[in-house]
Amino acid sequence: MKYRRASCMIALLAALATPFVAAGQETTGTVRGQVKDSATAQPLSGVQVSIPATSQGTLTDARGMFLLTGISPGSVTLDVQMIGYETGTRKVAVTAGQTAVADFTLAQRAVVLNQLVVTATGQQQERQLGNSVSTIDVAKMSVPPPKGVQGLLSEQVPGAYVMANSGAPGAGGIIRLRGINSVSQGNGPIIYVDGVRIYSGLTPTMPLNRQGELGLNDIDPADIASIQVVRGPAATTLYGTQASGGVIQIFTKHGTTGAPLWSADLSTGFNNQGHIGPSADPTGMFVNKCSGIMTTSDGTQFEDPSCPSSGSWLRNGLIGKYDLSVRGGQGQMSYYLSGFYNNTDGTLQNSSTQGKGFRANFGFRPLDKVSLNLNTSYTRRNTSWVPDGDSAEGFLLNVTRGPKNSFKGTDCTDSGVKCLDNAAIFTTQNTTKADHFITGVTVSYSPGTWLTNRLTFGFDYDEVVNQNLMPFGFSTHPTGVMYWNNWVHKLLTVDYVSTLNNNLSSSFSSAFSVGGQFYDDRVESLDVTAQDFAGPGQPTIVSAATREVTGDERERVVNAGFFVQEVLGWKDRAFLTGGLRVDGNSAFGKGFGLQPYPKVSASYILSDHSFWPKSLIQTFKLRAAIGESGKAPGAFDAERTWNPIAGNDGQPGFTPAQIGDANLGPERTWEYETGFEAGALHNRLGVDFTAFQQRTSDALIQVTAPPSDGFLNTQLENVGKLRNAGIEVSVHGTLIQRANLQWNARVDYSSNHDKAVDLGGQVITVRSTARTYVEQGYPIPSYFGKKVMNPNAYADPIIKDNQFLGGEYPTQIIALNTSVQLFNRLTASATGAWELGAYLMNAVGYQNARKGTWYGCYAVQAKMRAYAAGDASALNDVTALQRVKCSQTSGVYDYDFWIEPDNYFRLHDVTLTYQLPQFRFFGARSASLTLSGQNLLTVTKYDGTDPQVSDLRDSSMARRDYYVFPEPRTFLLSLHVSF
Amino acid sequence: MKKTYMTGFAGVVLAGLVILVTGCDLSVTNPGPIADAALNTPSAMPALVVGMSADLSVAVTQTAEAVALMSGEMVEAGNYADQQYWYAGTFGPDEVITQWDDMQQARWVAEHGILRMQKVMGSDFDTDALAPQAYLWAGYSNRLLGENVCQAVIDGGPALSDSVYFQRADSDFTQALTYAQAQGDTTLMNAALAGRASVLLSLGDWSGAVADAQQVPADFVYDAIFSTNTERENNDLAYNTVSRREYSVWGTQWANVFNDPRVPWDTVYAGSQVQNGQDGHTPYLRQMKYPSLASNMPLSSGAEMLLIRAEAALRNSDLASFTTLVNDERAVYGMAPISQPANVASAWPTLEFERGAVLWLEARRLWDLRRWGAQGVNNFLQGRNSCIPIASDEALSNPNLH
Repeated sequence: MKYRRASCMIALLAALATPFVAAGQETTGTVRGQVKDSATAQPLSGVQVSIPATSQGTLTDARGMFLLTGISPGSVTLDVQMIGYETGTRKVAVTAGQTAVADFTLAQRAVVLNQLVVTATGQQQERQLGNSVSTIDVAKMSVPPPKGVQGLLSEQVPGAYVMANSGAPGAGGIIRLRGINSVSQGNGPIIYVDGVRIYSGLTPTMPLNRQGELGLNDIDPADIASIQVVRGPAATTLYGTQASGGVIQIFTKHGTTGAPLWSADLSTGFNNQGHIGPSADPTGMFVNKCSGIMTTSDGTQFEDPSCPSSGSWLRNGLIGKYDLSVRGGQGQMSYYLSGFYNNTDGTLQNSSTQGKGFRANFGFRPLDKVSLNLNTSYTRRNTSWVPDGDSAEGFLLNVTRGPKNSFKGTDCTDSGVKCLDNAAIFTTQNTTKADHFITGVTVSYSPGTWLTNRLTFGFDYDEVVNQNLMPFGFSTHPTGVMYWNNWVHKLLTVDYVSTLNNNLSSSFSSAFSVGGQFYDDRVESLDVTAQDFAGPGQPTIVSAATREVTGDERERVVNAGFFVQEVLGWKDRAFLTGGLRVDGNSAFGKGFGLQPYPKVSASYILSDHSFWPKSLIQTFKLRAAIGESGKAPGAFDAERTWNPIAGNDGQPGFTPAQIGDANLGPERTWEYETGFEAGALHNRLGVDFTAFQQRTSDALIQVTAPPSDGFLNTQLENVGKLRNAGIEVSVHGTLIQRANLQWNARVDYSSNHDKAVDLGGQVITVRSTARTYVEQGYPIPSYFGKKVMNPNAYADPIIKDNQFLGGEYPTQIIALNTSVQLFNRLTASATGAWELGAYLMNAVGYQNARKGTWYGCYAVQAKMRAYAAGDASALNDVTALQRVKCSQTSGVYDYDFWIEPDNYFRLHDVTLTYQLPQFRFFGARSASLTLSGQNLLTVTKYDGTDPQVSDLRDSSMARRDYYVFPEPRTFLLSLHVSF
Repeated sequence: MKKTYMTGFAGVVLAGLVILVTGCDLSVTNPGPIADAALNTPSAMPALVVGMSADLSVAVTQTAEAVALMSGEMVEAGNYADQQYWYAGTFGPDEVITQWDDMQQARWVAEHGILRMQKVMGSDFDTDALAPQAYLWAGYSNRLLGENVCQAVIDGGPALSDSVYFQRADSDFTQALTYAQAQGDTTLMNAALAGRASVLLSLGDWSGAVADAQQVPADFVYDAIFSTNTERENNDLAYNTVSRREYSVWGTQWANVFNDPRVPWDTVYAGSQVQNGQDGHTPYLRQMKYPSLASNMPLSSGAEMLLIRAEAALRNSDLASFTTLVNDERAVYGMAPISQPANVASAWPTLEFERGAVLWLEARRLWDLRRWGAQGVNNFLQGRNSCIPIASDEALSNPNLH
């Protein structure tokens, strides 16, 4: 088997290497120039200057200057492009040993059809694409976005939904593009960094810190040039199996020819929590205020002498972020080197995350037609967590329950009150230490405009060591316990693509692409529980009297495939694309060796016709795409298996694991999308509209076998049909453009309505304790359970069971983004979004209400006590819903009654940037000062701690607000300096 | 130029063909799970039987927790969602999934394990020491189901009378007894006799039950095995009452019983205050019958056999024998003897107390209350659900139940 693999790889490499025949190097010349904004005459930095169909190119510096060296003599075409600007083209006569000058002025455009985007087959002009692509120009941002890549996506990409999960520093979010099209296989996008695929999920959670980290956030935003987001299977077909959740491509910064350009970003600020829980609660669930005597619903008094001297559990968590980079190049080589350090303290003590790392991107041009890019990054993260979520030692779980907590104290000033010691929670030590290494080399060979070849080798290595320690002497585990996990994820990428461009006639052009990919995905994870330490001290696993290996996972899955694509163009205004992807996956069952995924798309630039009313609408492109992608089942899902266990006090045994399905194959999602891009008002206003419909067939559903058949684990089967449909609209443009005033704005609207059409008669239980199910005819997933049919009546509740209570993910997102620039120096910007249509289980409300510590139930519960004491009229003004929500009677209270609408508006970001004039300190060429605030305002009727949190990180879909720390507000002051 | 193009594309096509024709190594590596066919070897049989024991232990402790609340042996003191319904006696198919599933798996693993053993071992099965042990586990798993569920379902089949499980258990214990006798294994013989005696009682065969029961020594105990070796081997009832505070003895009849070794409990303090349960308000009286995660849980005992005989005597209105047998049982625990009850009616509460104490937290009480309720001598279950219904996952997934 090893021989076969080796032969495969050798054959592949040998074949792919053959195009790179030697070519000679010639005597060369130089081109220099400057690029400016045509309206403001300000220099434009970061403009890409390139010679088409060659590997030669560079970026403009802060003064808009560029320098291209090693150019073959003759007439050379220069292309300049920048996101949001019309592209520029100019022919320049290059003489050996001489420097030619070529200056450009570029006009802002709301729609730029000649802009290059990177697709699975390489670079294509946007006009050729039959699907929508969102591009975020990160390099243009005044300071690196403080919330990392996941924050960028939620603010900048229509249809992207990023659930933050937790306000704990380091906690990773969940990314969804265009909603949900899979019940069991995850709905996250696949992610590439400079062509290298990286792990896109969350790292493992632990018993005390029930959040994982997102490897995507290890990419330092200061290093990112741009991000491209492709949504839906119609656009991601050629990316193959697993791509139906969309594709995110991150492109990091690269070197430029010329002297070294240094750039530094220094940011400092703080996190501030604000009020926790319902606004009427004066103590903020005993978190904002924890000093003195406090009372529960029934008047029980309690005191926590371990409360900090400030009288609050909260603090302002300090933030420091420092980035330094240098880019430059000479001759045939360019480089971009950077390093960063950041520290973010949470709003609770012991809550923090530190990151440090470096990036080294090198570009070589060893031969005239050959370029080589080597991109490497390394990040180390150290995160310290406070116990959170559904953990018996959880901070919110204990503090907000008042005297119903698990940590009792003895030092109270008043012996008549319940005495607490919640500070004991902070003696736990919960850490995540992570090392994330991404490296890749891309070789490009372009003998001319007619042929391009690109080969990428990449490796993503992500290692995490998690540890939860309750030390010796800890009150709930007196002899101590430690949970330890070592998780390593390795992903190898080999990606080759070749495109043959050909003008078939004066009107027709052809671009034929072939390519192949090979992904080797390995996960190794080891979990150990060690308990009963002999005494105090910093223990290791062997310090414990009892040690148990609770998990040992070593999984390897290989996915390999190839594709062909033909793009047929007509007069550079109409394009028809046909493609086919063929995949093999080691997880497929018998008879599923290779899976074909076809696609067809078309684009038509109507505004290129003479009949088009250009005075009204300057640019108009119609597009449509239909395509298929899939998701493979897990590595052993097709097999009937048994698990090795121990029984009879340590004797080896077997127990049924999985019943198996020999006919298991991938699920397939078809998508049809259509839309248009239009530019009006002299191309200052852009509209991007997309409507899509997705249908997933052979959906992989976790089917429950009858328990009386012995196998309790669910079995994946291809039994379901799902549907998802929606629209995405982006209206963006420059509302005012004067020499000293510019106002840009963007409004994004997206909707998606997913539904389980056919589940083969199954009701899929996603998480019964979170009342989360997938049922035919309802959104995926939804809450089901008991419903009060007369919620607002002043009467006993009428309750029906097994009722649909609401979908768990937003169906509509409206995002606003605006910026105003004054005198080319002062820029103010803001982003915010409404997320509508979701429901969320306020499980904190449920738990605390039945314990008498939910402030919103204090008044109702007082009336209930009066009623129980004989006041027959006490409940006259208590609604039926309040009677069950606030009940403290076993058999009456239930999670179901706390499933609430989760609509909210959040002001994500407000930023003020001032470009410092004539900044020459220590040789700096430019500098800017930025004051920013994130998560400044949330407007919602949702009653829980935060409409975005969820503790169920071990579930792919279920959401529940269960004692998870909410997101804080963040304030930052940043200085950006270029040298 | 043309040569370069041709070479490049020839290479690509070749690469594609290499992938297509020879195929890359797509084999998956995932050590850990064991293919079903790999168990078809004699060397795997001991571990298969250990698996039967392990799965039965899981089922017993999970069911014991639920039965403890359903039958008033303990009260709800925690935060779990289903427990309030067990305690209120209003549990339905959604609240018993864990118990139903674990009991069914224990039965399936034992019964189908025996079939596999017979196929793999051939005639060696009849003389192998694993045979009586396997039948014993099958018998106890069927008894567990019979005593606690409302209806029987076998291997994805239709709903049947719950007595089906007792009949299967009777057969299993008989087979275990036959093999154990042939092999001279006294422990397994006593376990089989004790198991069969309890099942015959449930089937109404009192003479058969007494005949088996009187062969079992008074000090005999046969346990479901628990251990701290791995988490799966833990006694979950101990975890939820000792490691956590989910169920309390407070408010039950047993909270008024002191210094009875059959019903050991203590009061947990936090400083000078009585510690509350995990729910924050129920005073925490902690069961101490299973003080450790490794505490075994009795499946059968000589004391239970004495009480079977005592109940049979009571049914025959033989109060003298009843009293003697109860006192014999109490003597096992060093308890003082009781006086003979004045009449049969006043003897029933004594029997109910004695069985309740001996079988406390062993997943047996619900069945006793159910059969005594049917007999009219106990009304605890009036207005409450008296048995575990077919769980919703079985009902939804089993086409024979639609």
